[in-house]
Amino acid sequence: MRIKSFLILVTLLLTQQATAEPGIDAKGIIRDAIDHYRGLTSYSEMSMAIHRPDWERSMSMNGWSSGSKKTLVRVTAPPRDAGNATLVLDDSKVWSYAPKINRVIRIPSSMMSQSWMGSDFSNKDISRTDEIVEQYDHTLLRIDEHEGHKVYVIESIPHEEAPIVWGKEISHVRDDYVELEHHFLDQDMQTVKILKTLDIQEKGGRMFAVHQRMNMLEKENEWTEISVQELDFDREIPDYLFTLSNLRNPRE
Amino acid sequence: MTNTATTLAWRNIWRHPRRTILTIAAMVFADTLLVFMLGLQFGQYRMMIDNSLRIFTGQMQVQASGYHDEPHMYRSIPAADTLAQLIRDQAQIDAVSPRAYSFALVSSDTRTIGAQISGVDPQYEPQVSTIPGLIKQGRYLSGGSNEIVVGSILARNLKISPGDELTLLGSGRDGSIAATVAPVVGIFDSGARDIDRQMLSMPIDTFRDVFGMGDQAHSIIIGGNRDQADRIAAAAKAALQGDKDLVLLNWEALLPGLKQAIQADFTSAWFMYAVLIVLVAFGMLNTMLMSVLERTHEFGILLALGVRHGKLGRMIITESAVLALTGMLLGMLAGGLLTWYFLVNGFTYPGMEAMSERFNIPSVFHPEVSIRSLLPGPLAVFIATLLASLYPVWHMRKLRPIEALQAV
Repeated sequence: MRIKSFLILVTLLLTQQATAEPGIDAKGIIRDAIDHYRGLTSYSEMSMAIHRPDWERSMSMNGWSSGSKKTLVRVTAPPRDAGNATLVLDDSKVWSYAPKINRVIRIPSSMMSQSWMGSDFSNKDISRTDEIVEQYDHTLLRIDEHEGHKVYVIESIPHEEAPIVWGKEISHVRDDYVELEHHFLDQDMQTVKILKTLDIQEKGGRMFAVHQRMNMLEKENEWTEISVQELDFDREIPDYLFTLSNLRNPRE
Repeated sequence: MTNTATTLAWRNIWRHPRRTILTIAAMVFADTLLVFMLGLQFGQYRMMIDNSLRIFTGQMQVQASGYHDEPHMYRSIPAADTLAQLIRDQAQIDAVSPRAYSFALVSSDTRTIGAQISGVDPQYEPQVSTIPGLIKQGRYLSGGSNEIVVGSILARNLKISPGDELTLLGSGRDGSIAATVAPVVGIFDSGARDIDRQMLSMPIDTFRDVFGMGDQAHSIIIGGNRDQADRIAAAAKAALQGDKDLVLLNWEALLPGLKQAIQADFTSAWFMYAVLIVLVAFGMLNTMLMSVLERTHEFGILLALGVRHGKLGRMIITESAVLALTGMLLGMLAGGLLTWYFLVNGFTYPGMEAMSERFNIPSVFHPEVSIRSLLPGPLAVFIATLLASLYPVWHMRKLRPIEALQAV
């Protein structure tokens, strides 16, 4: 009995040593990936295509972000949807503006995992804040190779008390901080949806995932793709942009 | 000689008329109870089903195939109003109403809640749903456009009353952003918590404008009397003209939980009935055993005269069969008459009046008189009684003439 537990201990220690590469900080990589994605501030022009078995539609939108908490997205086309906007402050304060009715609606926290504007992204996904850095425990699972780059595969498990719907998330982050894949797993550790990077280009002075696809695993024929056309980092973005009054009456 | 067993059996039955009559009476009583309870139970299930279906579901629904399992907005019925009218004509009922559903953020001045929006036809909806008759404040949809009625719990959570405005924000059928502002004209209280907590209705024309539905709907609700369900279903099927994209769903498919609840209740009721049946069987066992034991001396003489055990056994079984059959027939008759009385006059119990007012449902219900309520109980008692009479037969087979003659 004692020998057996000793053996188990030795095995545990050995495997620990094998996976935990010294000097690699999984949490740091996740933080850097988000910083890389958001910059100090960012301005982007993108298009989003929602694909369903019997229809497909796309929208164009502009996005602004500042720091790690503030995000504003405004739809520019098609005309029927133009002007709709979403403002994110902090981790779970999301407001939606609909020009047709000229109202701002705060999305209740119970609706954060619901679809954002009919896409496969949830209200939570689009905010993409640095919440994951502090609210999760990060472990480096392995290091893969991709086009001559190292790819860190990191498992992030939310803290027991964190208000997170996922059981865990797995990120594939390249050594230049471009995220290649992001898996969302439910509490039963079944993969629910995967965000995959389809194209990486140099944009706004850095390598960037310019084309990504979100895919619900259960629905093979349904996905949402986002392509980034223009990207500019660290430009001056006034703070009033991220206010409710600007959400309703854009000054730009 | 072949008839001696029968003749003897018949005489034995009337040897103690009071005992015989009491035994039969016990069976008749149990049978009456079983028939009445089963009839009541079936009547109650029927009422339960009808009342549940009447609230919102309808007797059956036409839907795009796959919508029931995965309700996506784009799984819809094209030209739904035309199809609804066709079903009305073919089935010759008015209770056919198209509906469209969506899920949206509903926002009052102070609160925002996710809720189910149903677009309904104000003209036909009252025929397939009790909700239009359960308005607690304000009024139901009048057929004008752009108005909303809200479930009572949802209204309380949103802190609104008739006259207030609600803002709706969701996605249209084509994925576009759907938004509207509309005044609340009424608040309904259906008594079904799920519906009162998370549903609001608006005219289907407004719904179609807001959610980009064109002339489509997600469901065509068909109401009407359940006695005619088969005829209506056949007519509705014909109206679908073999369209493979559309399906007709009956209530079992629409509310599988209700069917399961009824089955569970029925199973547990049978345990009680089983106890009753076993009790009657033991009563019968007692009677037959008594009548065999008291005749030990007599059987001894018969055996000594050369009558075989088999003949004696047949005689005893004939006796109990006559008793059991008489009990069964009388029991079915008595039970049937009792149930039939309430079928004609309606059955009610204290508090039902208040309930009927509260939930907009009938205040009496009618038990059922049918093969399935008449036969199973009495038949089970009959079989159990016959089985119980086998013990005295088995007991008698060990009898030796000499010992039997010496018995008192």
